[in-house]
Amino acid sequence: MKLSCTSLISTCFLLALPGVALSAEVSVDATAIVRFEQRANTGFPKQDLAPATQFLGLDVNKLGDGNLSLHVSGWGREDILDKSYYNNDQAVGSLTYGYLQYRFNRAADARLGRFFVHEGAVNEQVDGLSLRSDLPLGFGVSVFGGANVHTQHLANENTDGKGDAITGGRINYRYKGMLELGASGVYESKAPTLTDPAHVALLNGGKLGDHRLIGGDVWFSPFRMVEVMGHTTYNPETRGVAEHTYLLNVKPVQHLVLTGEFNEHRERNFFFGSAMFASLLNDLNEKSRSIGGSASYEISQALEVAADYKHFTRDAGNADRSGGDIRLSFLDNSVRSGLGYHYVRISKDFVNVMGTPMDSYHEMRVYAMHDTKNYFAAVDLLDYLFQEKVNNEQNAWEAMASLGYHLTPQLAVSGDFSYGRNPEYIRDIKGLVRLTYNMTFDSKGGKK
Amino acid sequence: MRFFQVMFPALALAGLMIILAACAQMNGLPGLPASHPEALLAGQQVSCAECHEDQQKGTMKAFDSFSHTPEFVKNHRFYASSDERLCSTCHKSSFCNDCHTNQVEMKPSLRYGNRPDREMPHRGNYMTMHRIEGKLDPASCYRCHGRANNERCISCHQ
Repeated sequence: MKLSCTSLISTCFLLALPGVALSAEVSVDATAIVRFEQRANTGFPKQDLAPATQFLGLDVNKLGDGNLSLHVSGWGREDILDKSYYNNDQAVGSLTYGYLQYRFNRAADARLGRFFVHEGAVNEQVDGLSLRSDLPLGFGVSVFGGANVHTQHLANENTDGKGDAITGGRINYRYKGMLELGASGVYESKAPTLTDPAHVALLNGGKLGDHRLIGGDVWFSPFRMVEVMGHTTYNPETRGVAEHTYLLNVKPVQHLVLTGEFNEHRERNFFFGSAMFASLLNDLNEKSRSIGGSASYEISQALEVAADYKHFTRDAGNADRSGGDIRLSFLDNSVRSGLGYHYVRISKDFVNVMGTPMDSYHEMRVYAMHDTKNYFAAVDLLDYLFQEKVNNEQNAWEAMASLGYHLTPQLAVSGDFSYGRNPEYIRDIKGLVRLTYNMTFDSKGGKK
Repeated sequence: MRFFQVMFPALALAGLMIILAACAQMNGLPGLPASHPEALLAGQQVSCAECHEDQQKGTMKAFDSFSHTPEFVKNHRFYASSDERLCSTCHKSSFCNDCHTNQVEMKPSLRYGNRPDREMPHRGNYMTMHRIEGKLDPASCYRCHGRANNERCISCHQ
């Protein structure tokens, strides 16, 4: 199935190539990044690493009769010096997405190839076909199906824990800019069974949970200044509610936004289809809940302030996160800056994997950046200040500086350097060089 | 369970049939344009209400709902899950997939170190912090790393 889908995608791209030459709009985004690292761990030989990564994106619009488009994005990485821990081999790559899209009119489209689906309760990456359409009387429908896109195999296994085939969709109804109701679902073919004796002993004889979910979502705006949205999902495999997640937005005056949110997860039902998470938690019967609120106000185009609070509750304990952010912008948005402070209070019931209580901490950040026609620069400072030392360290901090130069309006070279100290490393020094190329040929609209 | 297994493909098929049946009536639907007619600047805090006072015809929602306030950016998943096509009029898929992807090459905050104004997850040394934040709210980890983008996670969490 996987092989046939890959062949199908390749064939589609080859068929599209003649059209590319005649197309009205081609957009290319390319970024090459070389990271420089030196690793010196006790008991291991010192390594000099220089993984080079090429990100490449191509969008070709107005193919054929003008309604067909091609979208491709992916990356490849090669180790210039020693083989890095990033790669199993010296080189690796990934096709993030690659699909042909046909817009039947402004209200419907079809996609063929590798693409992402975000519809209601569904979040998947698929090699296959999707159809979406608005329908008369406020209805809409979307369906998709194909092969699952697999990821890294689990340790000592020949699978990532996901089934091979997947299908799903969403139907929705919209009423006069006031209400939207949706129902969505995803059905994945049977999950594989693990064979490693350790996994077999841990996980119900190695049997993984099948990934199947159904959900209902809502958007409701009785007045223009108020909107409520969110969804609830149900896991038919475990026969229980997996998630409630809802958001309330209130805009009483211009530039002021007040929000409230409620999230609740029944962890066994929510994590059931994930090989990693299902085995990660000691007690899958736990329930987690978070309730919070925030407010943001744009005082002027140059100044925006925000404050937020969130309370987390799990069977294991509770915590609060509260704080605020300020965003500034000057000189026609060419200088942008921000600073933020948050305090996270953690109850003593919460313990880490070592069985010791986790500590509360302060989080502080300040950044500034400047863009000009010729050069661009940024600095970013981040500090986590723990109330009690972690691994004998009071802080986890990092300072980063970036400087770049526009060789042409489309081509830029830049470099980043960061220095930090934290409970993991006595010194954490990183650097990279980046070459960015963004070009659109004969563009009419704007996409960033 | 058996009921679900039978009903789900049937519902998907019914959806396809509804599409075909409705095709003849679809020319009058407002829908969405392929792209925004004006190019938007990188780093701009987009306020749709600056130019649009009315309702976005394709989504039937007020334009102001989609203004990119800090709250919108923080909670954008709610909007993307029902109006992804509206997002795509301004954003390429790659804009979303910088963070939401199957196999991330490097931390988005590292790739875009020159853009500290963008909301990027896991800035700084997140190795220390993930042990705390993952314990407080494991569901927030699951959204991105549950069934994909977890090649780094499984080296320790199995």
